[in-house]
Amino acid sequence: MKSKATAVLAITMVLAGCGANSGSTGGDVAKGGDLRLLDDKTTYQADPAKSQSLVVTGLSLIHRRLTSWDVAPGKTTTIVPDLATDTGKASDGGKTWTFTLKDDQKYNDGTVIKSADIKWGLERSYSPTFATGLAYHKDLLDASNAYKGPFEGTELSSIETPDDKTIVFKLTRPYGDFNWVASTPAFAPVPKGKGTEANYGEKPLASGPYQIDSYKRGVEAKLTRNPNWDAASDPSRKAYPDTITYVLGQQTGVISKRLIDDSGDDKNAFGTSFASPAQLAQIQRNENAKKRLVTSKGGALAYLALNTERGKLADPKVRKAFQYAVDKASYQVASAGGAELAGDVATTLITPGIQGRDQFDLYKAPAAGDPEKAKQLLKEAGAENLELTLVTRSEQGYPEKAQSIQAGLARAGIKVTLKTLEEEAYYAETINAANPTFDLDLTSWQPDIPSANGNIQPLFQSSEIGGGRYNSSRYRNPEVDRLITEAQSTVDPVEAGKKWAAVDKRILEDSPVVPLIYTRNSFLHGSKVGNVVIGDYPSYVDYRVFGLTK
Amino acid sequence: MRLLRFAAVRLAGMLLVLLVVTLISYLVFFLLPADPARLACGRPCSPEGLANARLFMGVDVPWYQQFWNFLYGIVAGRTFGTGAAAITCAAPCLGYSFQDNVDVLTLIGERVEVSFSVAIGAAVLWLIIGVGLGVLSALKRGSAVDRITMAGAIAGVSMPAYLAGILGITVFAFWLDVVPKGGYTPIAENPLDWAWHLVLPWFVLAFLHAALYARLTRGQMLETLGEDYIRTARAKGLPEKKVIGKHALRNVLLPVITLLGIDLGSLLAGTVITERIFGMAGVGKLLVDATAQLNLPVLLGVTLFSAFLITFANFLVDLCYGALDPRARLL
Repeated sequence: MKSKATAVLAITMVLAGCGANSGSTGGDVAKGGDLRLLDDKTTYQADPAKSQSLVVTGLSLIHRRLTSWDVAPGKTTTIVPDLATDTGKASDGGKTWTFTLKDDQKYNDGTVIKSADIKWGLERSYSPTFATGLAYHKDLLDASNAYKGPFEGTELSSIETPDDKTIVFKLTRPYGDFNWVASTPAFAPVPKGKGTEANYGEKPLASGPYQIDSYKRGVEAKLTRNPNWDAASDPSRKAYPDTITYVLGQQTGVISKRLIDDSGDDKNAFGTSFASPAQLAQIQRNENAKKRLVTSKGGALAYLALNTERGKLADPKVRKAFQYAVDKASYQVASAGGAELAGDVATTLITPGIQGRDQFDLYKAPAAGDPEKAKQLLKEAGAENLELTLVTRSEQGYPEKAQSIQAGLARAGIKVTLKTLEEEAYYAETINAANPTFDLDLTSWQPDIPSANGNIQPLFQSSEIGGGRYNSSRYRNPEVDRLITEAQSTVDPVEAGKKWAAVDKRILEDSPVVPLIYTRNSFLHGSKVGNVVIGDYPSYVDYRVFGLTK
Repeated sequence: MRLLRFAAVRLAGMLLVLLVVTLISYLVFFLLPADPARLACGRPCSPEGLANARLFMGVDVPWYQQFWNFLYGIVAGRTFGTGAAAITCAAPCLGYSFQDNVDVLTLIGERVEVSFSVAIGAAVLWLIIGVGLGVLSALKRGSAVDRITMAGAIAGVSMPAYLAGILGITVFAFWLDVVPKGGYTPIAENPLDWAWHLVLPWFVLAFLHAALYARLTRGQMLETLGEDYIRTARAKGLPEKKVIGKHALRNVLLPVITLLGIDLGSLLAGTVITERIFGMAGVGKLLVDATAQLNLPVLLGVTLFSAFLITFANFLVDLCYGALDPRARLL
């Protein structure tokens, strides 16, 4: 126990007073060169149906989608057209969405991209063989969830392609964010009839600036330029490097050592996973490496979910005490040594960089919390001497973070037993189990699309409880369910934003979760990599604009 | 004839061991609280999607049926899903990795060369170093050589493999910059480059293992040198070289070979930490990655593969025993 505290203190001292390079690092870039992406994953694949990749990361090098995101530091992320001429036209109160493809768009083999290919790509995503990707479109296009893909001879009747350019989506209900959904991976084209093989993603037809030249499982993937990519129609992808090499299966500790060392090929390299607290401490001790560390301004909402179905936690008054009892300042220290690299204290569910976000704080308290106020609330609710179980993952520094929560709650007389589980066992307990036995769940969430909808609906709608879905506080409120559906069906983004901000407040009044911090991510790159940019959302480097300096 | 019978009996024994290992692994995996279908369902995952994923992966049936399907697949192959996008895993099908889009046997096959290269090179190195130093310290018992060797041996035996690997790569690859920082070149592509990438992993593993062999050899040698037959050999005037090299060493090597059999078997199946630190796509790394991703088919396949190698290596050891020690000739 004591040695742990000393270690945390040591990291704090190392990091104290160190500035973070917020938003962007690296010099001016020129066309050409080989960018190397050092990756701890062993598998590389670019199958749109199977991908959960955000618009700004790897998959966008190979595939274009109907819509895309305009991302920059200090700016709310907005939607822009990608393969489509605009960001979609809603009609029928948001139930019908129409997109038109840009002229003369081709795959790397020279064939023209047709609207039927977008439809085919989406249909493919329903086949169990390819169903691992982002699935926000699935129930909007198939209410019964009965469709099992095009390979058994049936079409999805909700998608119409009146001509080669036009694609019309007839949704099962009005949905204002459908143009955001159209930026998810499954909206990339796959030539109709192709992509039957399970490993299609190892050599897919490319619509983006690069194509996969070679792939050696567990070793590397080499990307070369797509000769038929139309740069003029694609302002969001800069495509500076001539080639991009994914170096696969690298141990994260070694990746960080190589990047700090910055010699040979590693000067052209970028580490794709974020730096761990131990690595951050190492980087901060090295002046040269410090310049090459880029940190996001915000990011995933770290939060403590309170299981609203368990004992005294069913009482909102008891739950509100937790808002004051937690020590967010020590959570920052446990995460990354301090606020600078860990991220700002969070008081809302909607994360920075998302349209419509309203900054408010229903439970005003210092960052370290107000344990006295918590005690008083617990006393009033008749819930003194609470003894609870907190589950969290055994990786990514979660055990240390959980200890900081444990210590914080102890100040208010709440006794917490920690239970750390391996990733899949953790998910089995928190989101799969029908009757889970945990009281508190320490976790985090970053929306898959830059809409408040992505912040709120998956975590708080009552339909999202259990069965692998993410409402781990098991929060049910018919009023909130209705407000969510209303906000989802609002087409006007400004009006929708206001509705989401109201939902945010309404949920926190019930206190099903305690927002902790907007988690910053830090990435390290070699000295020749430039244009390393992280927008306000998402907290990942924008792979589309990377380049190498001369 | 006797050899054939011996081989047949051992082979049947091996199959039984493998079957038991598979069964136990299946039970362990089945008892895990996790649901492998969750990863195949996408995000967000609807109950219908999850049910489809379970059906597709063949995990919608009771464990004994899954176990039977697995065994059946080894003999007759398997198909996952229906229609044009169905996945076929030809016999012998050791399972299919949905995360890597390939059957487990191919996955292991692609990585065997790396693991064998690491393991065999390291084993040769540590045998030479370990047995050599062991004999030397036994003969020069109590000398400086003996004491330094045994001190080094204790360091090697007690050092965690991870620490040895990280120290090795930090000193030799980063500070001194005399060896590559990781990666692997197939031997067929460029044998020199192959060896160049392997030098450091070989020495790291040899350092860790040679220690045990040196200690074992030394102890065994000291014991053997006190035996009557050695005295007899010396008494009848055999040169010392022959006494040590032929008479004593034979006896000393018996336990060494046994140990080597076990070590090599488990090493071939994965020099886990070495492969991870040096970024080599071998079987060991496959196992670690599969554990992290809860890739059950791969875990099961690699477990079976390791069990096979260990039992097979032991079989070879038994054969070698006969050659070294006439008393242990096969029944």
